[in-house]
Amino acid sequence: MSSEQARPGTFVPGTPAEDQPGPETPLGGLVKRRASNQMRRNLKRFLIGNRLNLIGVIIVVIFFFLAMFGEAVAPHDPYKQDITGSKLLAPSTTHIFGTDELGRDVFSRILAGTRVSLQVAVVVLTFAVIFGTLVGAVSGFFGGIVDEILMRFTDMFLAFPALILAIAIAATLGKSLTNTMIALATVFWPWYARLVRAQVLSIREREFVEAGRSIGLSSSRLMFRHILPNSASVVIIQITLDVGFAILSTSSLSFIGLGAQPPSPEWGTMLSTARNYFRDAWWYTTFPGVALTLTVFAFNVLGDGLQDALDPRSSRR
Amino acid sequence: MIVRLIVRRMLFLVLVLFGISLITFTLSHVVPADPARMIAGPRASKSTVEKIRHQYGLDDPAPVQYVNYVKGVLRLDFGTSFASRKPVRDDLERYLPATIELGLYAFILATAIGVPLGVASAVKRDSWLDTISRFISISGLALPVFWLALMVQFVFFGKLGWLPDGQRLPIGVDPPRTITSLYAVDALITGDLNLFWLSVQHLIMPVVVLAYGSLAVITRMVRGGMIEVLNQDYIRTARAKGLGKNTIVVRHALKNALLPAVTSLGLQVGLLLSGAFLVELVFSWPGIGRYSVQAIQQIDYNAIMATTLVIALIFVLMNLVVDILYLFLDPRIDYS
Repeated sequence: MSSEQARPGTFVPGTPAEDQPGPETPLGGLVKRRASNQMRRNLKRFLIGNRLNLIGVIIVVIFFFLAMFGEAVAPHDPYKQDITGSKLLAPSTTHIFGTDELGRDVFSRILAGTRVSLQVAVVVLTFAVIFGTLVGAVSGFFGGIVDEILMRFTDMFLAFPALILAIAIAATLGKSLTNTMIALATVFWPWYARLVRAQVLSIREREFVEAGRSIGLSSSRLMFRHILPNSASVVIIQITLDVGFAILSTSSLSFIGLGAQPPSPEWGTMLSTARNYFRDAWWYTTFPGVALTLTVFAFNVLGDGLQDALDPRSSRR
Repeated sequence: MIVRLIVRRMLFLVLVLFGISLITFTLSHVVPADPARMIAGPRASKSTVEKIRHQYGLDDPAPVQYVNYVKGVLRLDFGTSFASRKPVRDDLERYLPATIELGLYAFILATAIGVPLGVASAVKRDSWLDTISRFISISGLALPVFWLALMVQFVFFGKLGWLPDGQRLPIGVDPPRTITSLYAVDALITGDLNLFWLSVQHLIMPVVVLAYGSLAVITRMVRGGMIEVLNQDYIRTARAKGLGKNTIVVRHALKNALLPAVTSLGLQVGLLLSGAFLVELVFSWPGIGRYSVQAIQQIDYNAIMATTLVIALIFVLMNLVVDILYLFLDPRIDYS
C-alpha cells in the first residue's frame, strides 16, 4: 500500500486499486505521476532531511539481511563448541567479538540471534494485529453493548503493566520461546484493538462511508474494503514501533530465564549466561547488548519517523 | 461532580480487579503442571499427593476454587508459597518495601532531572543541552534496562570498585529499626549516619539504572509539551506585552506544558515496576521483582499470582490517582 493512499484525509471514495483510472487515460497518468512525485518527495525528506531516520533505515535493512542470511555469512558455526581450545577468548582477528564459555564465536552467535528476534517479532505482531484488529473493528463498527463488553474486556488486559503480564503468562505456561510468543501476543493485541476501534469510530462517520452505505454496500465490504484500509497507516506505524518493543520484551523474558532457552543464540539468553562471566569476559556481556540496543533503537527511530511522515497530526516531537 | 467521578472510577476499579483475579486464576489453572505434586515433591507417594491436593482444596471444582481464592485475596490471604512454605503475604510484606524504596527514589530522580532538562531543551532548542536531552530520550527507550544494569555493574563495581555490586546492605550488617521500611530514611531518622551512607551506596546503581528509562520518557514529554505551548498565542501575547523570558516560561508556560507529563505518570509506574523486575535481578535487590523471578524459577504459582495481583493493584491505583490529579490540574477535562 502506498503511503499516499493510506494517509488519512486523502482517501477518495471507492478507490481500491482497480477502480482508479488506468495509466492509459491522460488524466489518470497525471494523477499517478503527481502522487508518485509527492511520495518521492516525502521519502526524500524522510531519509535525507533527517539523518537519524537514515541511520534507522540502514540498521533495519542490515537486521533483515542478517535475519535471513546471518548464519550463512557468519565466520564460524554459532553452535560449534570448543571447550578445550577457545574458551572465553578475548576479541582477536579470528574471533572479533571473542568467544563464550563453551568456546563458541560470539560474533557468529549474535548474527544467528537476529533470526530468533525477527521470528518472534513477526509471529507476535501477526497474531496481535489480526486479533486486535478484529476486536477493534467489531467494537467500533457495531458500537453499543458489543462495544462496551469488548472494550471492558480489553481494558482488563491493559490494567497490567505489559511486561509483567507477559512474565506471568509465560511463567505459568512454562519456559520456552513458543510460550513467550503466546504471552507477548496476549499483551500486545489490546493496543491494536484500542487503536483500530478509535480509527473505525472516526472513519465510519466520514462522507465516503456514508456514500458507500447509500449506494448499498454491505457492512463487511464497507469494513474490509473501505474502513480498515484507511486505518492501515496508523496500524503500520504502531507495528514499526512495536517491533523494537517485542524484541526487547523477548530478550527481557529470556534474561529472566523464561524465553529462548540455551543453546539458542537469542540475545537475552546470551546475556543471561554472560552475566556469570562479566568480570572475566567483558566482550561477552557487551556485544549482544549493543546489538539489542541498536536494533531496538533503529525500529524506534523508524517508527517515529514514519509517524511524522504519515500522520503529522500526532507528531510527537 | 468530582465525587461522582471518583465513585465511578472506583466501580471500574472493582471491575478491573475482578478481571485481574480472573485472569491470574485462569492462568494458574490451565497450566499442565500439578501444584499438589509440586508441593509434595517428586518422590512423594501417590496417596501423599492426594492428601495434599485435598488439604489445599485443589480437588474442588474450579468455580469453588475461584470463590475461595477471591475470599482469601479479600482477606489479604494469598495462600502458602510452595517454595518457602510460608504464607505469601509474609513474603510480600518483607520484599515489597525494598521495591518501593527503589521505585520511589528512581521516580524522584527521573522527575528532578527530567522536568528541568525538558524545559531547558525546549527553550534553547538545538543547543548542546537539547542534544543531550534528545540523546537521553532516544537511548532511554532503546537501552535494555538489564543490560544497562550489567554494564554499570561491570564498570563501577567490577572495574573501578567504587560501589557495591548489589543487595540493600553488606552481608552481616543489621538493617535500621523499621519505621518506614526504607533503609536510608530509617537510618537517617535513627541518626545512624554510617548506616545511612552504606545504604545510599547500595542504592546508587539500581536507582540510577531504573530511573534512566523514566527520565527518557519525562524529558521527551516535557520537551514536547513545552515546545507546543511556547508556540501558542497567549505566550506570544505575554511576550508582546514585554514579559521576561523566565517569567513567561515559569509563570505561564510550565503548568500547561507539564500536563502531558502528568498523563505519562501512569506509564511511569508501569515502566518502573517492570524495570524493577530486571534491575533487582541483576543487583540481587531483595524486592518483589526478584521474589517473583525466583517464584517463576521454582514454579511457585501462589507467589506468582500474588505478586502479579499486587503489582496490577499498585498500577491501577496509581493510574486512578493520576486521573484525579489531572482533573484538578486541568479543569477543561470533563470525564463524564
